[in-house]
Amino acid sequence: MSAVTALQRRVRPEPDDRHLQVVDAPARRHTLLYALAIVLVLGAATFGAVALNALAAAAAVESRTLDAQVVEAERQYAQRIADVAALEDPARIRAAAEDLGMVPADSVRHLQVERNLPADGAAPPTDTPGVRPDPLKPLLSAER
Amino acid sequence: MTARRSSSPKDAPRILARSGSQLGIRRLRWTLVVFLAIVLVSVGKLVEIQVVNAEEYAESGVRQRARTVDLPATRGRIYDRDGDVLATSVEAATVYADPRVFQPSSTSDGTPVPAGADADEVATSLASVLEHDEATIRERLVDDDRHFVYLGRQLDHAVGDAVRDLDLPGVGVLAEPRRVYPSGPLGAQIVGFTGIDGEGLQGLESRYDQVLAGHPGMLALERAPGGLDIASGVREVIEPEVGTDLVLTLDREIQHAAEHAAQRAMDEHEARGASVLVQDVQTGEVLGMASVPGHDPNELSETDDRTTWRNRAVTDVFEPGSTQKALTVAAAIEEGLVDQATTFEVADAIDVHGSRFTDVTEHADEVWTVSEIMERSSNVGTIQIAQELGDEDLERYLRAFGYGTTSGLGFPGESSGLLMPHDQWWGTSLPTIAIGQGVGVTLMQLSSAYTTIASGGTAIEPTLVRGTVGDDGRLTPAAGGDPRQVVSADTAEQLARMLEDAVIGEHGTGGHAQVPGYRVAGKTGTARKPNDGERGYSDEYVATFVGFAPVDAPRLVVSVMVDEPTPIYGGTVAAPVFSEVMEASLRALRIPADSAGQDLSQAMLEAQQRVESADEDETDDEPDGEHTTDAP
Repeated sequence: MSAVTALQRRVRPEPDDRHLQVVDAPARRHTLLYALAIVLVLGAATFGAVALNALAAAAAVESRTLDAQVVEAERQYAQRIADVAALEDPARIRAAAEDLGMVPADSVRHLQVERNLPADGAAPPTDTPGVRPDPLKPLLSAER
Repeated sequence: MTARRSSSPKDAPRILARSGSQLGIRRLRWTLVVFLAIVLVSVGKLVEIQVVNAEEYAESGVRQRARTVDLPATRGRIYDRDGDVLATSVEAATVYADPRVFQPSSTSDGTPVPAGADADEVATSLASVLEHDEATIRERLVDDDRHFVYLGRQLDHAVGDAVRDLDLPGVGVLAEPRRVYPSGPLGAQIVGFTGIDGEGLQGLESRYDQVLAGHPGMLALERAPGGLDIASGVREVIEPEVGTDLVLTLDREIQHAAEHAAQRAMDEHEARGASVLVQDVQTGEVLGMASVPGHDPNELSETDDRTTWRNRAVTDVFEPGSTQKALTVAAAIEEGLVDQATTFEVADAIDVHGSRFTDVTEHADEVWTVSEIMERSSNVGTIQIAQELGDEDLERYLRAFGYGTTSGLGFPGESSGLLMPHDQWWGTSLPTIAIGQGVGVTLMQLSSAYTTIASGGTAIEPTLVRGTVGDDGRLTPAAGGDPRQVVSADTAEQLARMLEDAVIGEHGTGGHAQVPGYRVAGKTGTARKPNDGERGYSDEYVATFVGFAPVDAPRLVVSVMVDEPTPIYGGTVAAPVFSEVMEASLRALRIPADSAGQDLSQAMLEAQQRVESADEDETDDEPDGEHTTDAP
């Protein structure tokens, strides 16, 4: 019996001997769609991971740039402090004054001002009651 | 085939289905076998990686990506009392090279590998930037035994940038801190200096090294082969602890005035050296401490004269000479043996235990009060007072004034001076020590003794460090010693009057110490220097002056010592230095003059009158007599 005959017999079963029944073809599983969905999910996940890593790498680059800028700013700040201190050196100021033709005053007169100035030890008030101002605070900060 | 033939047509689909499912099962089994094999291989490899060689692989992984970066601690700054920077750290560039790059080599199988760069070319390029000669640089580049050589350390940042721009093979630039002293020689012996690796070597840099240094930190991170940090990797930071700042009691203006005056005295009198010390009477704080000759800590070299590193005011011991007489007299007054009006019949010479002590000038036998003895700086009179006091009491008072022990300043290398116990004194020790010979002191000790007199007889431990400034930016004051009473306020007051007479009196030796506008008290001293390493005295002298002002409410003590000057006298050499430094210090601290008291409006009125008076004089001088005067 050939396979064609067998198929024909299946198509036309005998009514008195029906062990098998014609049924509808099983619902096709949407394999393609399923695969596509899987691919999409995997693609999205991969893209997300790559994107996150790229963002992280970009942030790392930015962070490194900012770190470098902070380090450079700190270096410049330290250098400026040294430069300003060198410019304030009394010996340099004296030499500069003498170069300008200045001479030490030969007679000194003293005045008594009506109120103390900060240079006379008058400490600035603090906002917090009961807290004494740090005598060095204005001298070691930008208020200087 | 037989079976098939014998099968009925009904069996055909069943056979077909069975053969299809068997095929599927067979395929599935093979697939499973393949997967199983893959899984087994994977698991085996995992076991090898995770279990068998886990440690090795973990270490290898860490080696590949983990980086540790040292975070150096910034050394604390040193400020003067007003927050002016005396020492700070800046970033410097250190240039290094890997000599292997400049040498041909060979691989393990003997294949020759040419040098990565030409040492001559690199040396030529670097010579102009580093300001070294080419030969020296080349010599370092081809040093075969090393993998790392310094070509220049702690250079300016710009030099480092210039070297980076050259982009030379085998040459690199590191950033490292460099200690700088913006005021150069100002207070150099006090502040001290650090070594090239930042460790304190001299002065307060050495004394407070632990405080200033801080603690280095560490950054552990994962880095990709390109050098970029792995953002999602491990990142651990141990923050460096910044060094604590040190605030000194020094006043930069006063320090400069003291150093300037000391240097001028040394130059004018061709002296070997000079020291000046300015001390606050009320607090004991050292406001200025000058030693010349000095040095610039920014430009140290191997050939430097190391004696210039010494803070002479605390390390050098000298005989105080007549400045000592004030202490001898103070002891006698305190013991109730004399007062300033007590009289002595004073000859111009006195013999004690076979030795003759004379006054500087010959004079007839005179009856002088203690005050006059002080004013004239009479050796004979002082010895007579000391003889009433006795060995034991003299030693006791001198020790109470701070002789024979360090001042409490805590400065490295501070000397305690030399004062023998009285039971080891011999016959001439009492008269010798009473007039300031046979006893050794530092300028710090002498200054402290006069500070005790100026502060009403209360000894206050001198301090050089006002406090520390931590992360919060606030000053934490340094602990000070407890004050102790050495002599009574009455004794101190009598001494102050006598010392004022020594400056302004007709026979006073300290006339050059006067400060316009202020009442000054003080005493000159001129003492021969002992021979080095042998008994007896040399022909060299030490000129001193110690005094305080204003007399009514003393604020400052200034002590001056000039080593081997010409001329030799304290009144001629040291007193003018005292005057200059005291005047500058009083002005810097805005201490009102004794003759002050006029307010601004009075001063303006006087100034206006002076201008009008001057204009009138000019008008009188003009031939046509026509002149108008405007008010200032």
